[in-house]
Amino acid sequence: MIQLHDVSKQYGSFTALHSVNLTMKHGEFTAILGPSGCGKTTLLKLLAGFMEPTSGEIQMDGSLVASKHQLIPPEKRNIGMVFQSFALWPHMTVYDHIVFPLRHHRHTQDEWKKDMVARVQHVLKMVGLDQLFDRYPSELSGGQKQRVALARAIAPLPDILLMDEPLSALDVELRMDMRTEIQRIHRETKACIVYVTHDQGEALAMADKIVVMNKGKIEQIGSPEDIYTKPETAFVASFVGKCNMVKGKWEEGRFTPRAFPWETWPDIGVAESLKQEGFCPVRPEQWAMADESGEGLKGTVLSVQYQGKEVHYVIEVEEEKWTVHQSIFSRRYQAGDTVSLAVKAAEQQPVFV
Amino acid sequence: MISEQSVAPERKRGKLFFSPFLHLKKLYAFIGLLLVLLFFVVPVFRLGLLSVLAEGSFSLAHYREVLQEAATWTTVKNTIYITIGSTVLAIVLGVTIAWVMAYVHIRGKRWIQLFIFLPFIIPSYITTLAWIQFLGKSGPIQSVVGWAPNLYSMGGIIFLLGLSHYPLVYLFTVDVFRKIPRELEEAAKTAGAGRKHILLKIVLPLALPGIAGGGLLAFLTNLDNFGIPAFLGIPANIRVLSTYIYEQIVGFGPSAFARAAVLSVLLGVIALFGTFLQWLLLKKSRVTETVTRDMEPRLFLPEKKRRLLEAVIWLFLLVTSLVPFLTMGALSLIKAYGLPFEIENLSFKNYQYVFLTDDKTGSALWNSLMLAVMTTVICLIAGTVMAYIRYRKPGFFSKMMEVLVTIPYALPGTVLALCMIFAWMQPVPGWNPGLYGTVWILLIAYVTRFFVLQVRGSYTALLQVDPSMEEAARTSGAHGWVKWRSILLPLIFPGLIGGALLVFLMVLTELTVSSLLWSSGAETIGVVIFSYEQAGYTTYSTAFASVLVLAILTGGLLFTAFSRRWERKVMKKK
Repeated sequence: MIQLHDVSKQYGSFTALHSVNLTMKHGEFTAILGPSGCGKTTLLKLLAGFMEPTSGEIQMDGSLVASKHQLIPPEKRNIGMVFQSFALWPHMTVYDHIVFPLRHHRHTQDEWKKDMVARVQHVLKMVGLDQLFDRYPSELSGGQKQRVALARAIAPLPDILLMDEPLSALDVELRMDMRTEIQRIHRETKACIVYVTHDQGEALAMADKIVVMNKGKIEQIGSPEDIYTKPETAFVASFVGKCNMVKGKWEEGRFTPRAFPWETWPDIGVAESLKQEGFCPVRPEQWAMADESGEGLKGTVLSVQYQGKEVHYVIEVEEEKWTVHQSIFSRRYQAGDTVSLAVKAAEQQPVFV
Repeated sequence: MISEQSVAPERKRGKLFFSPFLHLKKLYAFIGLLLVLLFFVVPVFRLGLLSVLAEGSFSLAHYREVLQEAATWTTVKNTIYITIGSTVLAIVLGVTIAWVMAYVHIRGKRWIQLFIFLPFIIPSYITTLAWIQFLGKSGPIQSVVGWAPNLYSMGGIIFLLGLSHYPLVYLFTVDVFRKIPRELEEAAKTAGAGRKHILLKIVLPLALPGIAGGGLLAFLTNLDNFGIPAFLGIPANIRVLSTYIYEQIVGFGPSAFARAAVLSVLLGVIALFGTFLQWLLLKKSRVTETVTRDMEPRLFLPEKKRRLLEAVIWLFLLVTSLVPFLTMGALSLIKAYGLPFEIENLSFKNYQYVFLTDDKTGSALWNSLMLAVMTTVICLIAGTVMAYIRYRKPGFFSKMMEVLVTIPYALPGTVLALCMIFAWMQPVPGWNPGLYGTVWILLIAYVTRFFVLQVRGSYTALLQVDPSMEEAARTSGAHGWVKWRSILLPLIFPGLIGGALLVFLMVLTELTVSSLLWSSGAETIGVVIFSYEQAGYTTYSTAFASVLVLAILTGGLLFTAFSRRWERKVMKKK
């Protein structure tokens, strides 16, 4: 279990983290999600132990590992880490990479130390690289490099696995494959994974829990579904759900857009905090679009983008630009058309078996 | 299939100790700062102090005395003429070659570059010795043309200084030229500008920071140089500040040290002023550094013109950096100075005398070698530590440390030698540890002078290593020594050795500092060659110098071969 109490980090006069409080449980897959410069990498570096916080405390398994005055360095922590740039050592073979932590990590089991070859083979099998143990990094493809980096991090079976945007250096198709791999490795190792990313798709797909960060502060913590469907701040709504933030007034559970006082919309699951700010976040797929004669807000189609599965429209409504996603089977419009927009009724609750 | 092993077994839990490093780190930083101040800064202060003390109290008497002499002003005038003249020559040669190397399509650029760098590793006094032979009575020019310019003159000094230091200007400008985006030139071309116009209005103004930076460095190096004016100027009664200071100390007048101190302050002020100017200019030129280097040529000449240009460049390089050394090697075989170069006059007699008969040579070789090894080891370890701190904790503190250790390198060698005498004769008033007059003062002086070279070398090597390499080692459980041995050292090794080799060569052939700090029994290679030359034993000095040049070239080639091999075998680069 990792606990952060009021952790802040300053670089000179710049505050990278503002008193962050966070708890990560055993075996939990936590994604730290945010745009670049939001402090997520700083948070990961603090967890790894590369630096000490300016104030606050970090505890791992109940014991203090970092505060303003004290720091347990990374090599004494029970962690493993996967780096964005892979960080493979050019002068070592794949085998050397896996043996290195087995030999030096403090938490490697004795039986693995006795028979390292067996452990290396096992770990390489887990990441699907058992044929390549005598290759050098320069002889590997991007995906293979990432698997080596992953194998190196999990070889000593650390309690905590830190991942710093591990897929961002790979191309799109490979990324999808690696998502499945990482999920499987999480299941097999039962490590507590802290996964830093700016890609909300990755976070939603893999994490048990998402921590959305912005400007050094935590915006919201929740399950992927909660983060997506029930954003609590305007930032989370637009960053994760790509919501259109409609301004207006909430009265007795119904919303009235400011620009269209005669309209009232039902509550589609909007958080209390956003209601108080006078926002109704509408995700692109929550719009119902009809032609001029239909009910709702009138707007003009600015652009149309065919995406295969869906058609994406940008609609100008009262000098604001809203994004609308429609099924390819719905009626099509062209740039310049006048359309009417309404919010679809509250969604059905998902059913889990 | 999931085996039992992978299903989270019971994890080992070690007791976690707090490393007390946060407090230790402060202590180390304090000790480091103290050492840097003691070795690199205090000596310079002591020198300044001595120049304003007369019989134990503050006085400007020495300044008054020295500045009232006509000889001082002649020397200052010579210094300024010679420095400016040689700097202009270095800039013209350096910028022209840099422009050709950056923009024009010619073959064999790698080899050309190698020849340009040759003056870097061969000390300038040996180059001078070679040129004296080349243009001397028995040299090829005299025997073919029947006349050769006299090197023992102002012009000769300027010529050799310029020739020895144009690679500095080249080094500074060639990348600046390459970093000027070619689109800027193309834009000017489409706007109707001619080639001459583009060069004058676009290329040269953009390259100006680089040219100025390199030019000022050449200025400082010319000002600082001792070997060339000592070999050429002293016999012709042409003095510059660096040789004048030397003569004061060797002459042992009643107030020799104080007078030398005043002259050193004079020289130091000029040098520091130059360093300051250079710093200002380099600070401004930083913008260009972010642009990537464009290594592709931009100017394609017709076949005939290209061949002509290649021929001119090779002729220049061969005449300036190969033929003089070959001449020196050949003439060192002549039995007695002045005899014509004919088979019956050739023998290894000089080599036999230098290396087998004269005891001084043997002990000088041994001294220089030992000093070079010790200096290199000390610099390698301490310099790399300092570079590592600079790399890991960039900030005001580490930057300031680097500036401080640069001072002894930026100061003229004669000035630094004086600083060393004053600082280590009595480090604490009333206590003489007996360093001055032994070989140890040389060791301290060399370390102080060349330390920054290793810091820069190691720092550059470290910059090539992504920080995540080291972080990955740490999260894999590697602590201090394991991390260095298995990860960092293999990655930075060629860079470290490159820096160390430079320090080693510098110390091995050092003349300026040694000429003031040597004592009987503690001669160095440079001192012995200098004393042969001063005593008129030209054939001995050339024999010694020829062997040295051969050794340096062998060392350089071995290093090149080694670092290529290392990159292929260890770094798996193709």
